[in-house]
Amino acid sequence: MSEQEKKFLEVVDLRKGFGEGDTRQEVLRGMDFTVAKGEFCVLLGPSGSGKSTLLNIIGGIDRCDGGYISIGGEKLADLNEKTLTMYRRKHLGYVFQLYNLIPNLNVKENIEVGAYLSDHPLEIDDLLRTLGLYEHRYKLPNQLSGGQQQRVSIGRAIVKNPDILLCDEPTGALDYTTSKEILKLIEDINRKYGNTVIMVTHNAAIRRMADHVIRLRDGRVLQEEHNDSRISATELDW
Amino acid sequence: MEKNQRTGNPLSRRVFRELRDEWRKYAVIFVFLTATIAFVAGMYVANNSMLTEAGQAREKYLREDGHFELSEPADPELLAAIESGERADLLEYYTEQAHREIDEILPGEVEAAVTEEVTAAVSAQAEEAIRAQAREQGQALGLTGQALEELEQAAVDENLEAAEAELLPGALEQAMESEEYEEALEAARETAYADAEQEIDEAYRRAAERYRLDDPDFEPVPVTVYPFFYRDLDEDHDHDGVRDGGIRVYQEPKDVNLYCLMDGKGPESEDEILIDRMHADNAGIRVGDIISVGSADFRVCGLAAFSNYSTLYERNTDVMFDALTFDVAVLTEEGYARLRGAQRYAYAWRYRTASADEIAEKQMSDYFLEALITQTAAAENELEDFVPGYANMAITFAPDDMGSDKAMGGVILDILIVVLAFIFAITISSTIAREAPVIGTLRASGYTRGELLRHYMSMPVLVTLISAVAGNLLGYTVFKKIVVAMYYNSYSLPAYTTVWTPDAFVKTTVIPVILMLAVNLLVISRKLRLSPLRFLRRDLKTTRRKKAVRLPSWQFIRRFRMRIFLQNLPNYLVLLIGILFVMVMLAMAVGLPDTLSWYQGKVPEMMFARHQVILTASEDENGDPITTGNPDAEAFCMTSLLRRSESRDESVSVYGISEGSRYMPLDRETGAGEVWVSAAFAGKFRTRPGDTILLEEKYENRSYRFTVAGICDYDAAVAVFLSRESFNRTFDRDPVDFSGYFSNEEIRDIDETYIASEITEEDLTKISRQLDHSMGAYMLYFQYLCGLLAAVLIYLLTKIIIEKNESAISMVKILGYTDREIAGLYLVTTTLAVLASEAVSLVLAKQVMNVAWRAVLERMDGWFPFVISGGGMVKMLLMVFAAYLVIMLLDFRRIRRIPMDRALKDAE
Repeated sequence: MSEQEKKFLEVVDLRKGFGEGDTRQEVLRGMDFTVAKGEFCVLLGPSGSGKSTLLNIIGGIDRCDGGYISIGGEKLADLNEKTLTMYRRKHLGYVFQLYNLIPNLNVKENIEVGAYLSDHPLEIDDLLRTLGLYEHRYKLPNQLSGGQQQRVSIGRAIVKNPDILLCDEPTGALDYTTSKEILKLIEDINRKYGNTVIMVTHNAAIRRMADHVIRLRDGRVLQEEHNDSRISATELDW
Repeated sequence: MEKNQRTGNPLSRRVFRELRDEWRKYAVIFVFLTATIAFVAGMYVANNSMLTEAGQAREKYLREDGHFELSEPADPELLAAIESGERADLLEYYTEQAHREIDEILPGEVEAAVTEEVTAAVSAQAEEAIRAQAREQGQALGLTGQALEELEQAAVDENLEAAEAELLPGALEQAMESEEYEEALEAARETAYADAEQEIDEAYRRAAERYRLDDPDFEPVPVTVYPFFYRDLDEDHDHDGVRDGGIRVYQEPKDVNLYCLMDGKGPESEDEILIDRMHADNAGIRVGDIISVGSADFRVCGLAAFSNYSTLYERNTDVMFDALTFDVAVLTEEGYARLRGAQRYAYAWRYRTASADEIAEKQMSDYFLEALITQTAAAENELEDFVPGYANMAITFAPDDMGSDKAMGGVILDILIVVLAFIFAITISSTIAREAPVIGTLRASGYTRGELLRHYMSMPVLVTLISAVAGNLLGYTVFKKIVVAMYYNSYSLPAYTTVWTPDAFVKTTVIPVILMLAVNLLVISRKLRLSPLRFLRRDLKTTRRKKAVRLPSWQFIRRFRMRIFLQNLPNYLVLLIGILFVMVMLAMAVGLPDTLSWYQGKVPEMMFARHQVILTASEDENGDPITTGNPDAEAFCMTSLLRRSESRDESVSVYGISEGSRYMPLDRETGAGEVWVSAAFAGKFRTRPGDTILLEEKYENRSYRFTVAGICDYDAAVAVFLSRESFNRTFDRDPVDFSGYFSNEEIRDIDETYIASEITEEDLTKISRQLDHSMGAYMLYFQYLCGLLAAVLIYLLTKIIIEKNESAISMVKILGYTDREIAGLYLVTTTLAVLASEAVSLVLAKQVMNVAWRAVLERMDGWFPFVISGGGMVKMLLMVFAAYLVIMLLDFRRIRRIPMDRALKDAE
C-alpha cells in the first residue's frame, strides 16, 4: 500500500463548534487521524462525543471551523458548494440510521436513484442478489421490514461504487439479529468492492469487526487501535 | 459487474405515481385549469377569427372610412370640392363675402345719406326763396309783424313741396355725379372693408387655431364621397300600433357599406325590407314577417350584418348600443320613396388610398376634417356631424370589446394560473417538508439542488401542460362555438372563417407554463436552498423565532386554536388570497346585475319628466314661437359640449332650466359662469363644488369656463345645469330662446315636423337593458362558476393545512381526543379564518371592482356607479361559505381517517 493509500482520509486538527457567545459549544476540539484506503473504520463513542458531526464533515454536508480533512489528497475545505456536491456524487455513499427511502419508488428504483449518480454504477440485479433483495425488488418500502429497508438504503449508497461508504448508526433502529445481518452485509461489501467504510456507532461490540477503531470523547480522539484480526459480523455478540 | 450506461433519472417515475396516488387533487386542478384554458383558448380563436373578419370588412364590404352629415344636400360642385381633399381658402372666402355684402349695402346707404343731406339743403334753399318772395309781396301790401310772418308761412306750406319736387332731382343728380360723392363712397367702403377684415381676421385666427386651418403640414386627402341618406323612423313589429323602437332606413347600398346576408335575400321590390339580424333575433322578427316602418308596411325579405353597424349604436355619443329597440334596414329605391319623415343628408367617404394604420388614419381624418369644414362653410352649407371610422362606435365597439374581452380573459387566466401555481408551490413545499430526510439523503448522496428542483417542479409543469393541451383541444372545438354564440348574441357580426393564430397557443399554453414555472421556481428553489444536513434534521425553518408568541390567558382550547392559526399562518394567508380572488370574480358576477337593477330602478326618478320633447327650432316658419297649450309643459334649453381630456373627449349635455322649474329644481339659481353638475358628472370626473370646469364646442372654436355651484342628484347622464336665462346669455341666444319642453302629460299640439326627438325612459335604460341582455344570463352561470372555484381553492388549501398537521392530529388522537374534538380544534380555526378572509375580501373586492368599473366606463360616454346591494353581499358571503361547508365535510372525513400510528412513524 502506497503512502497516499495509507493516508487516503486524513483528518488534521479538526475543530467544530455550534452556537455563539456564551451558548457556544465546541463539538470537535482538534482531531487528528488517518484512514487507509479500503479500511473498515469504526468511530466509536457515546452520545455527544462528536462522531456524527465528524461523519457529516467527512461527508461534505457540514463544514469545519478549523483544521482540515483531505480525501485522496484533496482538501474538502477548498471545495465550493458545487464541487463539494460533485465530490459527494462521485466518491461518497451514505447510510443513515433511518433509511430515508423514497416511499413511492420500489426497491429496485430506490437503488436506481443511487445508480443514476454514477457513470459506472454496479449491476443492479447483481447487487440486489448480494443484498438479498432480488425477490423483493418490486416492493415498495412500506412492504419491507426495517432490516430490508436498511438493505435498500445500503444498496442505494453502494450502487454507485463509492470510494467511501459512510454509515451513521446503520443498526441503530434495528433488532439484534437484523443488525448483525446488516453489519455482515456491510462487511461483505467492504470485502467485495474494496470501499473504505467509515461507520459511526455507539455499540462497542462492533469494533471487533473493524480494521481500525477510533474512540471519541468530548470532541477528541480518545484512543486509536488497529485490529489485525478482525472477526466476521456473524461472530459478533452484544 | 459494472456497466457503462447511465440510467434515466428514476425520480421522474415518482411524478406519475404521485399523479395516481393523489388523483383527486390533481383531477380537481386539471379540470379547473382545463376548463379555464379551454374557455380562453376558445375566446382567442373566436376573437381572432371575428377580428380578422372585421379587419377585412373595409375591402370585403367596402366599408366606409367615415361619414358626415350636412344640413342641406351637397351640390355636385361641393361634392367635387370635398372629394379633392383640398381646403377652401376661408379667409379669402369670408373676405370676398364681406366685400360683396359691403358692396351691396354700402352704395344704398351712402345714397340714402346723400339724398337726406341734399334734400335738407334743397328744402332749406327753396323755403328761403319762398319766404323771400312772400315777404316782398307782404311788404308791398303793407303787412308787418305777425301778419307778415303768417303770410310767409302760408306761402311755404303751399309751395315748398312743389318747389322741392322741381329742384330735388336736379340737385340729387348733381350731387351723385359730383367728385365729393365718389370720394365719400370710397372712404366709406374703405372703412367698412377695414372693419370687416379686422373682424374676419380675428374670427379666422380663432378658427384656424381651433381646426389647425393654417396647418403647414396639411396634405390634401382625396376621398370618394357617397351619398348615404337615411331616415330615422318608428318601427312597429308586433302591429299593436305602438312604437317598438327606432329604425334607421337606407336605400340599398351599391358602392359602400355593403352587408353580409345572414338569412333570406336582399330587397327586390318596394315592399321588401332587409333588416339587421341581431335586432331581428332580439325582437323575434323572422324572414317573411311584416313590420311597420313609419306609416308604411314592409315584408322582411332577409336578415343581414351591416358592415358599418356591427354594433347597433343609434348615435355615436350614446352610452351604449341598443340592439333591442334600434334597428337598421335597407330598402329598394322605390321602397325608400314610400317613406315620409325628415331625411338626414349623410355622406360616407372612403379614402382613395387606404391608411396604413390607425395613427395614419387619424392624421388623414384630421386633414379631411379641415378640408370638409372649409369646403362646407365656403359652400354656405353646415356640417352637422362628422364621424371618422376609427371613432365610429358602431364599427369599432365590437372589435374593441372583443379585444378587451380577450385581454380580460387572458388576465383572469393569468391570475388563476398564479393562484394555482401558489397552491402547487405550497403543496410541494409541504411535500418537501414531509420528505426532508429523503431530500437530505439525496443531497448527501450527491444529487444537486438543480436536479431536485427540476424533479419537484415537474409535477406542476406537467399538470399545466396536460391541462393546456386538453384545454386547447376543447377550446378550438367546443368552447370556440360557445364564445362565437355569445358574440352573435351581442353584436351584429358577419359570417366568419375560423382563423388559427399562434397567440391563442402562446396565451393558453406558453404563458401558463411559464407562470407556473416562475412561481414554483421562486418558491421551491427558496425551499431547497437549505443544506443537506438541515434537511436530514428536518430543520427547515428559514426564520428563527426567538420567543414563542405569548397569548393572553384564554381558556386552553382557544389558545390551542390560536396556536394552530399562527403555525399555519402562511397557508391561511394563501387561503385569504384565494378567497379574495374568488370574491373579486363574484363581485363582478353579483354586482353587475345589481348595478343594472339599481340603475333601471332609478330611471323613473332620473327622468326630468315623462316626456322630454326636443324641437328643431324655437320658432315656426312664420317666426312665431312654437308653443303648446299643455299646461304641464315647461320650456328648457339644451346643447351638447365636450369635456376634453388627454384620454378621451366626453360629450356633456348642457341644460338651461326655467326659473322655479317643477322638473329639475336647482337648490339655488346659477349666477354668471356657474353651473350645477349631475351626480354622474361629479362621479366620473371627481368634481366637487367650487371646482372650475372647461367645456368646449365640438366643431367651433369656443370654450366655456364654469364654476361648479353644486352637485344635483341626477345619475342618468353626464350633464350640467344652469338657469335658462344664464344659458341663453352664455350661448349668445335670444333671452326667450328654448330647445324643447318637459312635460308629464304628452304634448300633442306641436307639429311633428318641429319635433326633432323625444327622450323617453327607453333612451335612459338603453345601457342597462343592453348590458342585461348581453351579460345578464352569463352572470348567473358565472356566479355558479365562482362558487365552484371557491370550493376548488378551499379544498386544495385546507387539504394542505390538514396534511401539514397530520402528525399533530394523530398525536392528539393518541392522547384520547375524539374526532369531533379534533375537528373543533382544526376545523373551527379554519372556519374562523375563512369567515375573516371573506369579510376582508368582500371589502377589498368591492374596491377592486370600483376601480375596474371606473376604468371600463372611462372608455365610454356616460357614468353610473358600481353597486352591490346588501342582498348581493350576503349572497357573495353565503356562496363562498356554502362552498367551504361542503369542503369542511370532506376535511372532517380526512381528519377521521388519519391513523394514530402516523405520529409514531414520524417519530421514528
